[in-house]
Amino acid sequence: MSPFIFGLCAATSAVCAGMLLGAYRQEKYRLLLWSGLCFVGLTLNNVVLVLDKVVLPDIDLSTLRLLIALMAMMILLYGLIWDAEG
Amino acid sequence: MSNVSAVLSGAVAMASFATTLFFLKFWRQTSDSFFLLFALAFAIDAVSRAAVGLTHISNELEPAFYCLRLAMFGLIIAAIMTKNRSRSK
Repeated sequence: MSPFIFGLCAATSAVCAGMLLGAYRQEKYRLLLWSGLCFVGLTLNNVVLVLDKVVLPDIDLSTLRLLIALMAMMILLYGLIWDAEG
Repeated sequence: MSNVSAVLSGAVAMASFATTLFFLKFWRQTSDSFFLLFALAFAIDAVSRAAVGLTHISNELEPAFYCLRLAMFGLIIAAIMTKNRSRSK
């Protein structure tokens, strides 16, 4: 069950990233770019989660995946604070 | 959970919470449900990350926390699809 949910998290976050970046290409609305980049990071976070929990259960990758998640959220926060207007 | 992981986990939860507030502000300014769905998605993320950080979860219970994350991504997909549909009308 767990590997399925972890895999689904990675797949759905990749869909989010693709949809947001696709929307940015059409609309050129900057917030969509920052959101898209954030979800690229969250996808990477979920891929490392699958590696951590399923592929390499003996190695603890929690610090790496949390660092990636933090970077992803910081990109979105940067966009929201400094660069959200059009 | 190591000390570094606990700090990082809290930082990500805080970032998600701050993001929630920004999207709530955009929703109040525009009344666009797109922003409300984004706010809801990041609120779910903040709660699930805080919950994972605060509890010692067993391997059996762990998928339940990640179902919340799945709900977050589902909401984002729903938000974009709703927006696309309303635009193409």
